[in-house]
Amino acid sequence: MAMPGTLDSANLNGGQKLAVKYFSVAVALFGAQIVFGLLAGLQYLNPDFLYGVLDFSVNRMVHINAMIVWLLFGFIGSSYWLLEDEAGIPVVGLKLGNLIFWVFTLAVAVVVVVYLLVQVGPGDQSSIWLINEGREYIEAPRWADIGIVVCVLVFFFNVAATFAKGRYTGIGGVLTLDLIALFGIYLAGMFYTPNISVDQYWWWWVIHLWVEATWEVLVGCLMAYGLMQTLGVRRKIVETWLYIEVALMFGSGILGLGHHYFWIGTPEYWFTIGGFFSALEPIPLVAMVVHSVFDSGTHNMKNNNHPALAWIIAHAFGNFFGAGVWGFMHTLPQINLYTHGTQWSASHGHFAFFGAYATLVIAFFYLALQKWRGNVWMSGGLAGAWKWKWALGLLNLGMIGMVMAMLVSGYEQSQIERAIEGSSWVGYFVAQAHPWFAQGMWWRQVFGWMFAAGFVLLVWDLLTLGRSERRPAQVHSEPGVH
Amino acid sequence: MIEPVALQDFFLSFFSAAMVILCGALYALLFAYARVRRQPRLMPVAYLAYLGLVASVLVLATVANLFATGFWTLIVALMLIGYLLAPHAIWHLCVGTHADEHADEEPRAFRQHS
Repeated sequence: MAMPGTLDSANLNGGQKLAVKYFSVAVALFGAQIVFGLLAGLQYLNPDFLYGVLDFSVNRMVHINAMIVWLLFGFIGSSYWLLEDEAGIPVVGLKLGNLIFWVFTLAVAVVVVVYLLVQVGPGDQSSIWLINEGREYIEAPRWADIGIVVCVLVFFFNVAATFAKGRYTGIGGVLTLDLIALFGIYLAGMFYTPNISVDQYWWWWVIHLWVEATWEVLVGCLMAYGLMQTLGVRRKIVETWLYIEVALMFGSGILGLGHHYFWIGTPEYWFTIGGFFSALEPIPLVAMVVHSVFDSGTHNMKNNNHPALAWIIAHAFGNFFGAGVWGFMHTLPQINLYTHGTQWSASHGHFAFFGAYATLVIAFFYLALQKWRGNVWMSGGLAGAWKWKWALGLLNLGMIGMVMAMLVSGYEQSQIERAIEGSSWVGYFVAQAHPWFAQGMWWRQVFGWMFAAGFVLLVWDLLTLGRSERRPAQVHSEPGVH
Repeated sequence: MIEPVALQDFFLSFFSAAMVILCGALYALLFAYARVRRQPRLMPVAYLAYLGLVASVLVLATVANLFATGFWTLIVALMLIGYLLAPHAIWHLCVGTHADEHADEEPRAFRQHS
């Protein structure tokens, strides 16, 4: 056994060894997301930049796809991380899981290289199967779609079989059922239809029901495990709250899908359904506020991993503001008529994805790092703690700055392009040329660089934090894991 | 059918919608804090935050033309009732789920105030 503070795989169980592979790729893809986002942002400021070499459409596509895939890698890694701890036995089918990791990673690399090398082509079956399927967020060609389904099925097998053979906890039960939905819903985005309304109808099943239902439940499972690990909260409490959260999320989130059906050619009753359930969607977040205050009162925030807990807190705030406040501001159809698809949506999307998902995956990076270094001290007085604090600050402030900048631009777009110019083609260009829009895009770029600086610091911190630490991790007075 | 927000009401629409959620969170926060810390004098402030929520909902409902139809008026009423009762319900759940954890402790901060 290596000295505490040294990265040593002997400190990890089989599932956790696989998890750190997923985390490593996730960090690399997070970096790619930022690089392509910065390039796309620069093209807003100077449309000639890289025109014909690396077009905006490609940059934006890689930026968004990298986000989906790095979060997916983060979620899969986090699930493998907790699997043996929860089930109490080694991962069933781990060799297959390892093989699939390499297949998945290779497939992602090939898809990205093809995106970059083949930027234009015919809109026929060969493009759909080999190059690009053309559906925003899930542009991966059909062969990769099938590959993703196979990979997720193997991942599901690992999880379900391990829980079936070992201890079946509440977290395990919710996670297993959620993965069935995660896999099943992806199928809805795979078939081709020439009718754009029908296509969008099913496409939203993947996008909305992943993001506002299955992913939310998945991070609920991860949060439950994270709270037991960092704060020592008892299993019975986190699992009871996990069930409550699942009920609230599914109760409001599934038919909240309706707010995406307002303007795609679906019947008018979707105004009613979408409006009603969208009004309900913030309730789980308000519930979370009450429970957070209650928990902080009972545990006094004593924890064994300061960076992880800080990111968990960032998750709670980010989820509340990004999904709750930013979502509800423009979700009712009476105002969404003007904001849908403008920089408003981008502002909400950035805040919600980062706040609800990226933050929690980063918290798991720190949980993993602590154990990988031999379960070393990561509480107060940690050497080099400035790096994680600055990374946390720069990433969050950078994101908030980008979000506010896009909000200003989106406000201007919804007024001028949509309300005054009536969503005309001329209105689109008038709005794009307006100083408020242009200034918003400049500020977005400035804060984008701040965010990128935060990412560099985060990577540096993940490579070095705890290296010189020899003290064992703080022990909870009320161990919550078992 | 829906009646869109008028151009001059754009800002009010966004602002009031944001205030609905923020006042709802402030109400929930103060409500829970007043009970956890046993500071009943904070409870009126919590209900003041709820009044802020009521005002925000009414402004949003007016500018978004929600009072034009029975269905949207019903949503407004449900929002007001839902946000009023949600912190109470969640508090009861908190007390219930933590009951075992504090069964052997002095009944202090976590007890339900009647």
